[in-house]
Amino acid sequence: MIVMNAWSPAVSIPKASLYAGLMPPSALSEEEDSALVKRIAAAAPERDAAAEAEVCRRFAPRVRLYGLRHLRNEAAAADLAQDVLIITLQKLRSGVVRDAERLAAFVLGTARQCIVDSRRNTARRERILDTFPIDLPALVDEGSEPLDTERLGECLQSLPERERTVLLMTFYADDSAQTVGAALGLSATNVRVVRHRGIQHLRDCMNHDRELP
Amino acid sequence: MSELQCVTSVPLPELLAYWLGEMDEIAEARLEQHLFGCAECSGRIANLVNLTQAIRQQFREGRLGTTILTARFVQQLKDAGMRVREYHIQPGGSVNCTIAPDDDLVVSHLDAPLQDVGRLDFIIEGASWRHRLEDIAFDSASGKVVFAPSVAELRKLGVSTHRARLVAVSPGEERVIGDYTFKHSPYR
Repeated sequence: MIVMNAWSPAVSIPKASLYAGLMPPSALSEEEDSALVKRIAAAAPERDAAAEAEVCRRFAPRVRLYGLRHLRNEAAAADLAQDVLIITLQKLRSGVVRDAERLAAFVLGTARQCIVDSRRNTARRERILDTFPIDLPALVDEGSEPLDTERLGECLQSLPERERTVLLMTFYADDSAQTVGAALGLSATNVRVVRHRGIQHLRDCMNHDRELP
Repeated sequence: MSELQCVTSVPLPELLAYWLGEMDEIAEARLEQHLFGCAECSGRIANLVNLTQAIRQQFREGRLGTTILTARFVQQLKDAGMRVREYHIQPGGSVNCTIAPDDDLVVSHLDAPLQDVGRLDFIIEGASWRHRLEDIAFDSASGKVVFAPSVAELRKLGVSTHRARLVAVSPGEERVIGDYTFKHSPYR
């Protein structure tokens, strides 16, 4: 996949690494971040494709989750992952990331900055999209395995009612314990206890085949 | 850091608090630093997100069974574009009800005097079955219990009558708060 954007005329990123699902560990998965940084910088101006792919495999899901947490939008999170990886690979190739031990901190800092920048540019982007509406294809989570939804349905139905209500109200809109508690006449502390218990019960119910958090 | 190292595994309640925006800025920044360097913990967050998405999906598809909600939550659903058919019933009252093909959800608001109620159970029964939800969540100040039956099950129903009952439970005692009757007909 060749990605074009303002920071880079052409940077190649493995397509699957842009999505949440983790690509299978590569031969480099046990390499320290610092080793990857050094390999990529040493190869420049050529590309160390394996090391770059490993950086993408390692960080794309983390940036996407960061994006989901802060932007609450799947497409925006995928865009963020793409932008951050492009910048990161460029900086690695040019040897700008000098402290090889701190690659994770560099990626996080870049993600934070991209979000700040995107918020500044939101109004402009919205105007452009209003003027030139396009349909983007839905992003497919290619790598992650889906939950057993049938089993999840059974497990949800088997939960004590109070836990089910709290989990639904919490996760439907990602509401805080404070918000859910206010609606149910419960304290935030009580909501935290109930939701934690609910997730534990779900995990116990489903943990035969699938690992929950 | 390599893929295989996790110095300190973050407890689930902390991951949840992060995901739901309950942390202060400093704690959040510290946790994000850990998550970016830790495959194990970022994987656990990913699992958590998958779970939340699956729960939303189950609810949207009407597969959660009878569920207790709140009026505010129902309003949120409507604001988000869900088509919600609503019924409001007084204690001792009855209502003719149905589900239309394009309804996403059917919700009943049961008025009830809930002051001084500690634990509340909800009983729903048809001609040959009875289901009791124990210790439901409710806001006594609202004076209402809001429930949504399974949309998938509602769509299968023919003409039938169902009764709901709210029961206040305290040690050694049960007190009926209200009875409500639903006269269901398929949509015409």
